[in-house]
This record gives sequence, structure tokens and C-alpha cells, in this order.
Amino acid sequence: MNIVLAGVGGNGVVLTTRIIAEAALKEGTDVRVGEVHGLAQRGGTVVSHLRIGPDAKGVLVPQRKGDMLLAFEPLEALRQLKLLKKGAKVILNNEPFIGVDSHLGLSKYPDVCQIVERIQATQDLVDVDATHLAIQAGSVIMTNVVMLGTLSASNELPISRDSLLAAIKARVPQTMVEANFKAFELGEKAFRDWQAARVCEPHPDLSN
Amino acid sequence: MKGKGPLLGTAGEKVLMSGNEAVARGCLEAGVSVVTAYPGTPATNVVEALGEVAPDLGFWAEFSVNEAVAIEVAAGAAFSGVRAMMATKMLGVNLIADALTVVTVTGVRAGLVIVTADDPQQFSSQNAEDTRFYGMLAKAPVLEPADGQEAKDMAKYAFELSEQLELPVFLRITPRICHSSFPVELGELTKPKRDGKFVKDKKRFVMISTYSRPRQKLLREKMEKAKLINDQNRWNRIVDFQNGKQFPKGAVFNTFGIIASGLTYPYVEEVVEVLGLSARVLKLATTFPMPENLIGSFIRELDQVMIVEEGDNVTEMQVRALAQHRRLTARIIGKDDNILPWSGELNPDIVGDALGKVFGKKFREELTEPYVEAEKLIQPRIPALCAGCPHRASYFAIKEAIRKKGKGGSVMGDRGCYNQGAYEPLEGMDTCICMGASIAMASGVFHSGSSEPSLAVIGDGTFYHAGIPSLLNAVHNRSNITVLIFDNSITAMTGHQVNPGSGQNLMGRPAPFTNLKKVVEALGVEHVRVINSFDTKALVAAVMEEVDYDGPSVLISRSPCALVVERNLRKRKLKMPVAVVDVDKCTGCKVCMKKIGCPAFGWSQDPKPHMEVLSHCNGCGLCMQTCPFNAISIPGKKEGVLGMTIRKEVPK
Ligand SMILES: Cc1ncc(C[n+]2csc(CCOP(=O)(O)OP(=O)(O)O)c2C)c(N)n1
Repeated sequence: MNIVLAGVGGNGVVLTTRIIAEAALKEGTDVRVGEVHGLAQRGGTVVSHLRIGPDAKGVLVPQRKGDMLLAFEPLEALRQLKLLKKGAKVILNNEPFIGVDSHLGLSKYPDVCQIVERIQATQDLVDVDATHLAIQAGSVIMTNVVMLGTLSASNELPISRDSLLAAIKARVPQTMVEANFKAFELGEKAFRDWQAARVCEPHPDLSN
Repeated sequence: MKGKGPLLGTAGEKVLMSGNEAVARGCLEAGVSVVTAYPGTPATNVVEALGEVAPDLGFWAEFSVNEAVAIEVAAGAAFSGVRAMMATKMLGVNLIADALTVVTVTGVRAGLVIVTADDPQQFSSQNAEDTRFYGMLAKAPVLEPADGQEAKDMAKYAFELSEQLELPVFLRITPRICHSSFPVELGELTKPKRDGKFVKDKKRFVMISTYSRPRQKLLREKMEKAKLINDQNRWNRIVDFQNGKQFPKGAVFNTFGIIASGLTYPYVEEVVEVLGLSARVLKLATTFPMPENLIGSFIRELDQVMIVEEGDNVTEMQVRALAQHRRLTARIIGKDDNILPWSGELNPDIVGDALGKVFGKKFREELTEPYVEAEKLIQPRIPALCAGCPHRASYFAIKEAIRKKGKGGSVMGDRGCYNQGAYEPLEGMDTCICMGASIAMASGVFHSGSSEPSLAVIGDGTFYHAGIPSLLNAVHNRSNITVLIFDNSITAMTGHQVNPGSGQNLMGRPAPFTNLKKVVEALGVEHVRVINSFDTKALVAAVMEEVDYDGPSVLISRSPCALVVERNLRKRKLKMPVAVVDVDKCTGCKVCMKKIGCPAFGWSQDPKPHMEVLSHCNGCGLCMQTCPFNAISIPGKKEGVLGMTIRKEVPK
């Protein structure tokens, strides 16, 4: 299985990838992680490639061979779209990060609705308000854990919920475990809510 | 990350490790005694990880002031009979070349391993040089791992090879090894030796020409020996594929071959399997010197051989020469035929394109129309200095001063976080060539006869690394230049490593706190001042004065890195002050944004168009000085002095 994680510096992409990879390895599954984080500063593009099971060969997911995208930011989701198979699930936190360049008119941050439409043209999009759910759980820094909850609930990962929770526990400070588990549950609930809402919406056209 | 991570795991355990951690672990398994490095992405964490565990395990680990020094410290240890490792990004190999090309002549008494991280995609480097050429130039063997397990195992083996040949050995890795993570099975740790002793032998270590010349023959013999050792290297492996299925070598017949060096092997394997190709593949781990017998017999049995390698055509050239030398007729293809690209890193799609061309198949999944449409919306992100970065304040002041003087002026830049200030809107530095170039280039601009003021900008880390000789040169050769040292007392760009101005060494122990002003004075600079980066008025006035002074002058613009300030505030559970915008006063003119380009600015239309301040503002206060309508303030703080007052509250 090929999973792509995308966001900007400060989103916790690298840490999230490690949590999933460690959970997979604990379950005895082969894994590879490829990361690009360029400079350590905030706001730059960050992407990681996570390959689990028989796909765990080279560290890079080839074009349009990705089974899933966990995106922490809309423009970054769009940037990695070319790595996804048609119909692959995209879990998106729809909180944009608009940089200095856009404010100065050096580049133009696309309209978020338009980004969502373009993604929906080929992918099965689950959008979550992860930033706000994380704030609800206690802090914006747990946005990535909300996303992990949503990912887990989607049932697409070949990794159990318990293993993910154990991997989170191993990574966060003792005092923060409870809050993180709450964030995880809010993420799970977000997926169930999305599923319930989808029953009444037409399924995206994936025919072309 | 919690604790010391997987670095000290028990033997037999299988853990998830980055390539850098794997290399570090390999060194521990080899019982390394001395570790040196100068920071440089993507190699930095190899040594950062080792620095943390060095005091407990009882070996020496240091960040040296530059790479040239680092290799000399490491070589001194290896001359004294203990294993030493030096790590650098590839650009640092340019600096070690002077020592390296002689240390191969003397040879070493214990393993000396140089970990070099090349950056073919230029994620964070000024060029894309291929350090294998330095292996060839100096005659030092080069090893290239294909994954994390090999990175660990080959790091350990590199010491053995180094001792077998009495030569320094390169371990060449790239970001796809360094920053990727792999399951790695750990081996036993070895206790580091601490009983080094330098045994004199002038004919071997005093490399005046009398003693050096006769040793060239020995070096030649070592290369011949290395080729034979490499023929047997356990990571050089040949496998046969038939219709994408893997067989042991010789089990099936093939006429097409692939030589895949280092981390390109998994890409090749994936493409061959997915496309169901038939080919004999040589996975090459020893890229210099070539295992000539192994490669010779490999190509002898084939009609056509593709060379897959990242960087320049180093293996391809050698294989061509070997084929010619041994009168082998197989057609050799690769970069020379433009079947594989000359620049950038490889990936499975690029390797797939190349093999696809040969076999008339397609690996890369096309981007259909909706994907192409989506791609059109994508915008690049232009990097910006962090919110509260003192470099922004310094650039703001330099720009103001140059504008007020009205005589124009050039700012020769250097290498560090301040490179982000070259982008709009600051556009504060005009060159970035290599570490330390700024001051000497500003001298060059001055000596060219330019009538404009000649300025230089350099960070404290870079000044210690390579700026001191060029400042001395400016004094000696009377350059009329104005040098600004952006002193944030840390090497920020590569992830906050210590330097001689940090008061602490790599192992977390107290180190003498270098007095930068005294160093500059001692070099003979008569005009030196230390000014707080956020004291814009003082900085502007000082730049204007020093530009007029006839001789080299230095302004040390000092304020700690904003991320360090934030971290310290958080540790002390203090709240970060933030700027607020008075919506009534803000006209939405964006002058603040256009002047300083701070990423903590947002934009709101509600109830009318105005600037807003986002949560990651840390209250440096610079924006307050830019607003024509006094719409920005920091509650409870006085205008303009904010950056200074907060920073004084924070201990070093
Ligand atoms: C020869 C060489 N070694 C290492 C590097 C990696 N590198 C880039 S900038 C930098 C240091 C910057 O430190 P400093 O000048 O203090 O500026 P700061 O980033 O702290 O603002 C390093 C080590 C390089 N580019 N070239």
C-alpha cells in the first residue's frame, strides 16, 4: 500500500508518518518512508511517502500509484494529486496556509472551493475540519492526531486502531496522552459524520 | 522526538531508522572513537545523534568550525590508531580536498570514514556536485548503500575496508537515504578505544616532496588491491529477472543488463518487476574503484548494458573505459545517450521511462485530463524568513540606510537562513555563492573600482567557518567595505547547531563563549560596533556612517533566532506577546507587508479589508515601525523597543 502525506512545515507531517510507520513495523509489516522537508523553517512544502507491505521497495511512490493521501493543507493536497490512483481516498484538512508570496501578489493562492472541486474530479475526498477539532481537544498541535483518527476510521489502513494508539502514546508526552486520544476519537467521529452525510450526496463521477 | 530513539537499541532488534541514524548506529557498532562534522543538510543528523550519546558511551564527538578542520581532527585521530568518522554535506568535501588528497598518500593507522551526503535534487544546496570525483581524485574508495540496513552495515564495514587498505573511505549517501526511514536490524555495539597514540614515522607522515613522491607508487598498488577487494564485496550482487520474476544469477539467460548503483537498485527492481522485464541486474555498492573483474565478466555475457546512477556519469565513464580496455562489445547506454537525465535525482518513474524506451513499454501512469487540469492550479511556495526573525530587521535597516544615502550599493551575501531575505519583498542580498564568499567578494567589488558602497552580509556561523581569513584579507588589503555580521549566536539554517558563539559544544557541555567583537578587533578592524538587530534607528544610522568610512568596518547585528526565543519562552511557560491591528485605523494598504513580508500577517475582508496578525506572531514589533497609520501595536508594550525588551528577558 502506498500512502502520501502532505502539508507545510509545522503541520507535523513527518511525525505523523513516523507514527504510522512504527505502528506498521510493530505489526510485523515491512515499511519504507521517504520524506522531503527541505529547510527546517515553517510554511515550506513537506511531503512524505509511506510504503507498507509488498510495496515497500524504493522509498518513493511512483506517479499515480498512491492508494491514499493524508493532506494537512489544501494546496499541498493538490500538489501531490499526481501521485494518486484514480478514486484513491484523500483525507483533507481544509485549513489553508497562505504565505507571504500570496499576500504580496507574487503567487496566487487558489480558491479553496476550486481546489476541492479539482480533487473531487478524480478522488474520493473526505474533508475534515481537523484544525478546529484539535482546538476542541485542547490544542491546535494535535491536528495531525485528529487526521490519524479519521484515517483509522476510514478502514483503509492495514494497521489496527490499537497499534496506532500505542504508537501515538509512545511519541507524545505522558501528560498529553489523554488529550491526544480525545483528538483521535474526534477524528474518527468526523469520518463517521462524513459517511453519514455522504449517503444523501451523489457519488463523485469517477468514470473518466 | 522522545529519548535517544533507536540509536542505542539492542542487537537483534528490528527498528525503524532514518538513513542518517542507521549510519550513526553503524559507526557505534564499529566502535568509533572520534566523530567530527560541520553541519550541512542532509548529513547533519548523523553526528547530532552521535553527539547525544557520546558522553555516555565514552567517545569524542564535535562540530568543528568547518569541514577542513573536521577532516584534520578526524585524520589526526586515525593517525593515532583509533577509528574516526567525519560527516559533511557534499559541498564540504570541496573544503576537505586539500587534506584528503595528502591523507590518502600517508594512509591511516585506523579506520577513517568520510560520510558525504550528496544532494542531486538540490533540496538544500547551491550546486549538485558528485563527490565520487573526489574519491577518484584522492584515490579513496567510495561505498554507496541502497537502503537503511545497508547504510548501517556499510558504515561499519567502511572502517574495516579503510583499515585493510590503510586509506580513508567515503560512504556516499543522498537525501533519499538520509531522510528516509527503513526497518533496520541492529548489530552489537563495540566499545570505543580511548588509548590512541601517535607513533612517529616521518617518511610516512611528513609529506614534503622527498617523502611524498615515493609513496605515489604505493597508492597505485592500493587502488589495484581495492579493485580486487571490491570484486568480492558482499553488497555487489547479480540477479537475473525473467518476465519480472527474480532468479539467482545464471538460472535464466539474459542479453540485456543493468548496472544500478547505490539507492537506484530498488527503483530498478520495482520497474523490472512491474513491467515484467527480463534482464540481468548488477547491484553496485562499490562505485570507486570499480570491481573490474566483476563488471568485466558481467558485461562480457551481454549485448547491451544500461548504467543507472545518480549524479554524473561516473560509473558510465568507467564502464565504457573498461569495456574498451578489455575489448568488450556490449553496447553501453545511460546518460551519454540521454536515456537517463543528467541532472536531478532519480525516481522509479524516471528509471521506468528509460527502461520503457528500451523495451517499448510504459511504467509511468499518464496524467489524464482532470489531473492535468488540477496541476494548473498549483502555485509554488516562496520561502520566507520566520516571523520575528532578526535577519528581517537587519535587512530592513540596511535597505533603509542605502535608500537614505542615495548612492546605490551592492550587498554580497553568504550562506545561511538570511538567504530567505533575497526573495521579495526584502531583496536584501545580491549574491550567494559559497560559505564565506561574502566578505572577499565585497572586497572584489570595491577593488573593481566601483563607486557604489560595497557591503557584505554574513551569519555568525558562516563567519567562524570561513569569514575570518577574508576579513583579515580586507584589513591587509585595505578594502573599503561595510560588513554586517548577522549574529543569532547559532547555526540556524541547518537546524540550530552550536557554533563557537553558542557557549556549548555538540555533546551539550559548556564551551568557551567566543567574543565575536574581540575577534573582529583582533583582526585589525578599527570600526566595530554591536547593535541589537531590532534597534532599527541605530542600525540605519550606523550603516550610513560606516559606508562613508574609508576602510573595512564591521557591524555586528545581534539578536537570538526567533525560534530559539519561542522555545525558551515556552519552556518557561511565558506567553508570547503578539501584535494587534486596529481595524479602524488599518486602511488595507499593505505597506507593512510590502516592506517586511512577515508570514505572521494574514488578510481579512471582515468587516472591511485589513491586515490581521496570525497566531504565530511572536511580537518582534518590527511591523509597528512600518505602518503609516500607527494601526499596529503590542498591548502593554512601548512602540519600537519590543524586539529588544523581549529578547533581554530571555537567558542565553
Ligand atoms: C561548505 C558548506 N558547508 C555547509 C553548508 C550548509 N550550511 C548552509 S548555511 C549554514 C550555516 C549558516 O549559519 P549562520 O551563518 O550562522 O546563519 P543562520 O542560518 O544562523 O542565520 C550551513 C552550515 C554549506 N552550504 N556549505
